[in-house]
Amino acid sequence: MSSVDASRLAIDAREVTKTFRSGWFRRRETAALRGVSLQVERGMIFGLLGPNGAGKTTLLSILATLLVPDGGVARVLGLDVTRDATALRRRLNMASGRPSFLWSLRVDEIIAFYGRLYGLSGARLRRQVDALIEQYELTSYRKAQYNELSTGLKQRVALAKALINDPELLFLDEPTLGLDPDVSVRVRRHVADLRREQGMTIVLTTHYMREAEELCDEIGFIKAGRILAQGTADALKRQMGLGYVVALKLEPRPAWLAEAPGVLRCVDAGDGWIDCTVDEPEKRVPELLRSFMKEGVEVRNLQVREPELEEVFVELAR
Amino acid sequence: MSWRAELLPTYAVAARNLVMGVRNVFFFFELLFWPIVGVLSIGLMTRFLGLTPEQGAFVLVGTLALSIVNVCQLEVAYAMLLDVWSKSVKHQFMAPIRIRHLTVGSWLIGVLRGFVIFVLLAALAAWAFDFHVLRPGVVAVTAFLAGCFLTSLVVGVFVCALVTLFGTRAEAFAWASVNLVLVLAGIYYPVSVLPKPVAAIAAAIPLTYFLDAYRSHFGFPSEFAAPVTTGLALSAVYVVLAHWAFRAAIERARQTGLLLKMSE
Repeated sequence: MSSVDASRLAIDAREVTKTFRSGWFRRRETAALRGVSLQVERGMIFGLLGPNGAGKTTLLSILATLLVPDGGVARVLGLDVTRDATALRRRLNMASGRPSFLWSLRVDEIIAFYGRLYGLSGARLRRQVDALIEQYELTSYRKAQYNELSTGLKQRVALAKALINDPELLFLDEPTLGLDPDVSVRVRRHVADLRREQGMTIVLTTHYMREAEELCDEIGFIKAGRILAQGTADALKRQMGLGYVVALKLEPRPAWLAEAPGVLRCVDAGDGWIDCTVDEPEKRVPELLRSFMKEGVEVRNLQVREPELEEVFVELAR
Repeated sequence: MSWRAELLPTYAVAARNLVMGVRNVFFFFELLFWPIVGVLSIGLMTRFLGLTPEQGAFVLVGTLALSIVNVCQLEVAYAMLLDVWSKSVKHQFMAPIRIRHLTVGSWLIGVLRGFVIFVLLAALAAWAFDFHVLRPGVVAVTAFLAGCFLTSLVVGVFVCALVTLFGTRAEAFAWASVNLVLVLAGIYYPVSVLPKPVAAIAAAIPLTYFLDAYRSHFGFPSEFAAPVTTGLALSAVYVVLAHWAFRAAIERARQTGLLLKMSE
């Protein structure tokens, strides 16, 4: 990424640090970011993954001008997050998976309130509010007060609010947290549409690996305030040297399987399946099949698949 | 700086506060119940104590100021408190909004609510206690109301700064602070009865001068020279100081992460 022209970068953060200090008498310090460098190209969906407390929300908040970094430089859409914060705010927005808005305001009032803060008024504001309410299927709840809405509806309101200013860069902090599967699928579809139709840059944090793999062009793994790896899901899997998984149903199960050449490990996956991780499937699968035939082992089923992103996550989070 | 860019977010905040106020179950109590209870109890007490009409007017002026300042400063504090209570602070401060939009928008609704209370209480005081607020003339009443509203703005913005700096822990102090200001400003008595050091503090509070100016029309000689001008000048200084404090508190909350802690 370092070779990318700076004007094509939506985010260019270098050595960003942030330490939280608390306590009046006994000062406690918690280093949330320890020199994070991150580049995200414009028009990309970028996923930020990491265990709890890794620094995902802190990094997102710095990029969204809600937090001031202690050190390093962070430029978003070509503007410095500290010096040019006010100009930058017009071009950003954010939604989180734990949304919260004023309890007595109605759905259309919430969206319109934030619309006005972003400079919309009159017919343009009404059109934008109506369009977002329709897009997020909130028409029948338009006059419902926020505290009467279900979790899923609240999240849809948060997404509608986050799009009121047609942001160039959208931050989504766990956007499908606690949503029903069907709603999650729709939210993911909306996110993909936003990038495809409007060329919006989207940075999202998530705990769902499948979501990241399905949506994101690139993924960054953050742990203990440091980016440990960044790249496409495939590149990360290769980078981690996790190999490929050969899932087998054998009768009988040969004792030598885990020691066979090129087999990194074998685990019992239940229901008679054995998952063996191999270094090169093109070479190892024919070798294994020949050995099975020679030993009279019956192969009842065989599947070859890439390792899951989750396995990359587990490896990095270790 | 365009007028549209100034007016639109100010209007947004004012409209939000108005809607939240109208839908608040305590709205009736804040707007009617407590102010009416205050005027009736104080007015009846003046009757029981056998005060002269002038002395009664002196005390009732204080009751009016208390009701107006309480409601108006609370509305200004809502600029921050509504978002703190609903944990939506980050959305507000991620938007391109300035502090003055927040405070002025909230203050306008505070002025509206304060004015409604003033009209209601003035009618009640005239009917029940023969106390006529317009007797000193429109200019004097306008100056008195301006003093109440400016004091409310100052107190409310300082409360916002405190809440932003210390979180909800500061709420209790915030509620107490307005009452302290009212006590020091000579709400039911002339500041000359206060001990000297306390009277010096009272002399630094704008409301002291506006109360003094208004009461001078009811037969109590003014304790200060040019009280209205002094009150306005002090108010201007405190308005600037309060906004500076609020701005500094927000910047600090962006440093410490309190802005996030007060959010989702």
